[in-house]
Amino acid sequence: MSKLQATNGNDRNGSLRMYGLLFRASVRSRMQYRFNFWFSTLMSAMIAIVEFLMLAVILIKFGHIKGWTIAEAGWLYGVLTLSKAMYRTVASDVHNIESYLVSGDLDALLLRPLPVLLALMSRNVSIRFGEVIQGIGILAFSMSALMQEGRIGWLSVPLTLFVVLCGAVLLFSIGLLTATAGFWLTRIGELQNITEDAARTAAQYPLSIYPRWLRGLLIGVIPVGFANFMPGLFVLRGEAGWWMLSLSAVVSAVLLALALVVWKVGISRYQSTGS
Amino acid sequence: MNPIIAVHDLHKSFRAPLPAPEGPFRGLRTLMSRQYTSKEAVCGVSFAVKPGEFVGYIGPNGAGKSTTIKMLAGILHPSSGEVRIDGLNPHRERRRVARRLGVLFGQRTQLWWDLPVRDSYDILAAMYGMDPVRQAARVSELADLLQLGEFMDTPVRKLSLGQRMRADLAAALLHDPDILFLDEPTIGLDVVAKRSIRDYLRSINAELGKTLLLTTHDMDDIEQLCSRVIVINRGTLGFDGSTSELRRRIGLPTIIRVTYRHTPSLPSHMDVDDAALRLTAVEGRAVTAECNRDELSAMEALRMLERFGDIEDVHMEEPHFEDVIHTLY
Amino acid sequence: MLFYVLARKTYARNLQYRGAHMLHNLASALFGFIYMSIWTAIAADQTLGEYGAAGIVSYVAFNQCSLWVAAFLNHGLGIEQLVRTGGIALELMRPAHLFYQLMCKEWGQIAYQFVYKFVPIYALYAIVLPMHIPSSLLVWTSTALALMLAAYMSICLNYLIGAAALWTTESRWLYWANYALSMLLSGFLIPIEWLPKPLEAIARYSFYPFLHYVPTRIYLGMESAATLVGSLLWAAALTAVCLGVTGIMRRKVEVQGG
Repeated sequence: MSKLQATNGNDRNGSLRMYGLLFRASVRSRMQYRFNFWFSTLMSAMIAIVEFLMLAVILIKFGHIKGWTIAEAGWLYGVLTLSKAMYRTVASDVHNIESYLVSGDLDALLLRPLPVLLALMSRNVSIRFGEVIQGIGILAFSMSALMQEGRIGWLSVPLTLFVVLCGAVLLFSIGLLTATAGFWLTRIGELQNITEDAARTAAQYPLSIYPRWLRGLLIGVIPVGFANFMPGLFVLRGEAGWWMLSLSAVVSAVLLALALVVWKVGISRYQSTGS
Repeated sequence: MNPIIAVHDLHKSFRAPLPAPEGPFRGLRTLMSRQYTSKEAVCGVSFAVKPGEFVGYIGPNGAGKSTTIKMLAGILHPSSGEVRIDGLNPHRERRRVARRLGVLFGQRTQLWWDLPVRDSYDILAAMYGMDPVRQAARVSELADLLQLGEFMDTPVRKLSLGQRMRADLAAALLHDPDILFLDEPTIGLDVVAKRSIRDYLRSINAELGKTLLLTTHDMDDIEQLCSRVIVINRGTLGFDGSTSELRRRIGLPTIIRVTYRHTPSLPSHMDVDDAALRLTAVEGRAVTAECNRDELSAMEALRMLERFGDIEDVHMEEPHFEDVIHTLY
Repeated sequence: MLFYVLARKTYARNLQYRGAHMLHNLASALFGFIYMSIWTAIAADQTLGEYGAAGIVSYVAFNQCSLWVAAFLNHGLGIEQLVRTGGIALELMRPAHLFYQLMCKEWGQIAYQFVYKFVPIYALYAIVLPMHIPSSLLVWTSTALALMLAAYMSICLNYLIGAAALWTTESRWLYWANYALSMLLSGFLIPIEWLPKPLEAIARYSFYPFLHYVPTRIYLGMESAATLVGSLLWAAALTAVCLGVTGIMRRKVEVQGG
């Protein structure tokens, strides 16, 4: 086959292979510095667990918060942590797009035979072991506690995995939309603080604790609520039906589609106006 | 032969915001209505490059140089005009054009900073959809050609600048593109490394037949590597031709320094015949003269100078290429 | 005077970003609001000891403000950067002690953050929330003193965190570890008397409560200025450690060249 011929199928294969290589290479290079690797993993896991402990300690003392127990709150927390870990493992440099825009390094990505977004995502792939450990740990603790109470069954395990995946797509889409704003604003650090950090921190806790307007914001405007709380109503408490799961998936998918479209517009603008 | 790079009447203008006039509520007024001015970076540039040429594309800063290159590579869309890379339009078919292009940035790396060099090649090969057999052959070829063997497994961040430049050059060539863009490929390198990179580039052009487009501020690069020079200044082309044509066009004179055995007897003025030869400095027995080689050959110039005394020593200097370019900028 | 020169430079350097910083205040205020919501939800059907629903809101709000003075300092006082560039050797050899230099610079940072972050967020909370505002001048001055001692202790902690950069490249994790521990043990989100017994014991034996718990309780009128003796003692102890560590740093740089 001529080297100039590359069908779309070949592209997709190549991308998958590329990602596999990126993962392996990243792990290999980090394992080279064993102390650093274990130290940083330990530190990040510890920090993430302590963050959860802040809430756990309150719930230990007071029993529940707006009817949500510590095990349920742990589920919400763990699911969100895993979703975020997945998103940032695969798309770390989407979040860091500001540095690419400021330094002009984005141009180099346009020289690749890949969609710019994929090229950007490939620049920095690094598994966030600490957060993964924390997420799985808290989920294990929460879900076994809930199962012992008889509140959930084994079905909830694959359901939880599904929720985590949808959540990852959702957080990625929010991150991508915010990053795209960089084509117009360049400096988006503060915006990211609000749409990603603040929104996600708020969603770590059961949304019922917030006033209606904030809950509406977190479900309707920056819909992080669909990453854990809304599906949680179904998976943990049976307060909603199977439709909630589909709705969460639909919201993630729609947001992703929207983000990709807006990203294309942003790239097109970048190519017309330069940096 | 069809040109492999064809540029026709290329234009690019940018909208730049005008600073708001001083006065109260300046920030607010800026938000409400912003005045824009149009800045023409590239106005009507046209040229064609045939396969196998080694072209230097130079100009002062802000001349529209990098803007043109970005439009050739598909990074930027032209305001008007046409670009064809190997018959394809980079504006519309960025990714297909990307497969035919290799780019070397002197000032930043395209490799993965924390990973060994070898890993970067693996990842790039996957990106370009190269099958593993071909990839292995290619990597080994390039490692031989550019002598990468000793640092294939070293993380990029630990390489010296010269090593990194070679590794980046190999990365640019990995997918065997027909066209290479080189952006300041020798910047910051020591003399030895510069020469070796230039040797590699020369052989890539001469032996592999690749088309190379070089942008640089180092005039030695141009002089030693390029057969053709295109000069852009203030958005338009100032010159497009061979390097020797450029010298001739500018017409900077050759400088001849002559040392006489005894104090020469110089005429008080030069007659009309000798207008082609001008005396610029006299210090005792040393005389400096200028002449245009087009008008007066070196032998004739020397014969004229011999009339003034016995010559003991002669020293000739061609104008610096830099000075040549300087008059163009 | 060196103190004033160094502090002023840092203050001035930050001024150019005050637009972005004001926007950041919005995000910071939101974070505080999240924590307050947690407590209002709890307070809906439980009593909250000596704090009460209103008191706990003020508690969390003031803690959020005080983060900008006693927690969000330059990571490791910038020592990691100095180690990476090799400038640490030069800085250690200067006539002014490294700790003093970096402390002065950081005071400038803290002063800037007080004016452009603490004050705006505090003002916002005071307007929007039922926030407790002390009436006695003694309380205001004790609070100010408590905050300054908390800031000073934070400077010392960051100095030690930064010093670790001489031994490992991963020292920035220590900053976040310290931050996480501080969140848990300094009474930031939950007053330490409500921590599980083992954690409460650890907290009380550490300096952490003096960073947030003590200044905020003084502000709320729940502690007297006498508690500040503890702050002073810890400040003195931490200073001694910092000075000692500087000696070790000097020796390392002399032997290994940094």
